[in-house]
Amino acid sequence: MISYNGSERMTKSVVVKNVTKKYKLYKNNSDKLKDVFLSKEYGEDYFALRNVSFEAEKGDIIGFVGVNGSGKSTLSNIIAGIVPETSGDIEIEGKTALIAVASGLNNQLSGRENIELKLLMLGFNKQEITELEPGIIEFSELGKFIDQPVKSYSSGMKSRLGFAISIHIDPDVMIIDEALSVGDKAFAEKCLDKMNEFKEQGKTMFFVSHSLGQMKRFCQKALWLEYGEVRAFGPISEVMPQYEKFLKDYKAMNDLEKKKYREDQMAKRSQAQA
Amino acid sequence: MSFLTTVIKEQIQNFYLIRRLSLYEMKSTNKNNYLGMLWELLNPAIQVVVFYFVFGIGIKQTEDIGEVPFFIWMIIGLLVWFFVNPSITQGSKAVYSRIKMVSKMNFPLSVIPTYVIISKFYPHVALISLTAIILQFTGYPISIYFIQLPYFMLSTVIFLIALSLITSTLSTIARDVQMLVQSLMRVLLYVTPILWSPYLHLPDWALTLMKVNPLFYLIEGYRAALLGDGWYIWSTYSLYFWGVVVVMLLIGSALHVKFRKHFIDFL
Repeated sequence: MISYNGSERMTKSVVVKNVTKKYKLYKNNSDKLKDVFLSKEYGEDYFALRNVSFEAEKGDIIGFVGVNGSGKSTLSNIIAGIVPETSGDIEIEGKTALIAVASGLNNQLSGRENIELKLLMLGFNKQEITELEPGIIEFSELGKFIDQPVKSYSSGMKSRLGFAISIHIDPDVMIIDEALSVGDKAFAEKCLDKMNEFKEQGKTMFFVSHSLGQMKRFCQKALWLEYGEVRAFGPISEVMPQYEKFLKDYKAMNDLEKKKYREDQMAKRSQAQA
Repeated sequence: MSFLTTVIKEQIQNFYLIRRLSLYEMKSTNKNNYLGMLWELLNPAIQVVVFYFVFGIGIKQTEDIGEVPFFIWMIIGLLVWFFVNPSITQGSKAVYSRIKMVSKMNFPLSVIPTYVIISKFYPHVALISLTAIILQFTGYPISIYFIQLPYFMLSTVIFLIALSLITSTLSTIARDVQMLVQSLMRVLLYVTPILWSPYLHLPDWALTLMKVNPLFYLIEGYRAALLGDGWYIWSTYSLYFWGVVVVMLLIGSALHVKFRKHFIDFL
């Protein structure tokens, strides 16, 4: 655990220290079962994240970049408190909210019922829910569809609803995982406006996106993940050129080199049990 | 013991949450039907009619159970079964099928099986009340023994919560447990005194063996209460029942608390 002195406490909002997330890969189901119930370890370790450390100040907007499978979503989920870390420490000032494309909506229930259910699960009482509901419905722009079952929604509509709920619960730390890439441009603009508003209020935001343009416009800092480890962390103006150069080099590789790169990546992250 | 207090504390502190979530649960299961929640009553009614044809007219069990006509005796057992059966099967898949919805780690996960069970409890209360009213006009007026009814309803709920804590944890770890539970439930219908009376033909040892099943206690308790058939609470059988429940609660809460941080990793 980390402790702060008074002045630091004011500015740091998320401190991630040596966070590791290990998944187990099993050859078969019996290994999996043995691993749960026996003290000896079975299966092969796979490091989705390894020794990730960084700090975010209040009001920071940090973009997570990296190729597919580099651990961006795992890190988002851990910061949001959905997935537990295997080891390491995370300190967060205040409430977090994760906005992802598939953000746990109940398909059978209507949009309105989902709003109520979601808020209920987040610990709001009946009166607070009644107060928050109109704002959420308004922001989601779902119109008549708010009383239709969520299974009839398009993916854009779902992400709009998820986004609307998450920003209205007034989180201190927000994590946006690819959620804006399914919405149309107008809605994305609206969300970016809202996020700028949050930025002025001193909220911290994390942003996962493959749209580098969006990221450059919006984020001040970037965290580049590779093999589940931090390759670079710093102002966007420093990290982005490096990452773009890497992408260019990666694209320029021939198939054999790409394959080798991926295999190296795999080998680095997995580790068989002795 | 600390596991048990954690779980019990969560249940009590989140009583409001459990109530509200159970209502949404009922809504979402019946949303697709035009008749909606009416199915919670229609479904048992249809089954009662079928069982009546099979056991009342088809096989024709003419022997009454004590002084009670077989049909009335059977219906009370079935009513409890209609609550217990879906609660156990749904309760055991409660955690792994809903954990995605929860989406926050500080959510008190132990309330998930509870709210699923409570959502089955509302139709049960409706059915029992309806039956109690019908019994008034069919020769079983309300008696002092009736006050056992709330006790047995509460006992059933607590028993189901204790059982679901175990099964929901195990089935999250290994989905096979869900399959096992479903098959065992089919067996359970026939080894519990619901469709046939164990008092008529069974030797003593077999009767004792059947009484190991806590559902035996609950169902006979409902009958004693609704039919004004004496006190069922005051017996050593009650002690046995609560002993079983406490042991199940201890195992269930220990398992649940031990594994719950990793439930999401098992998906």
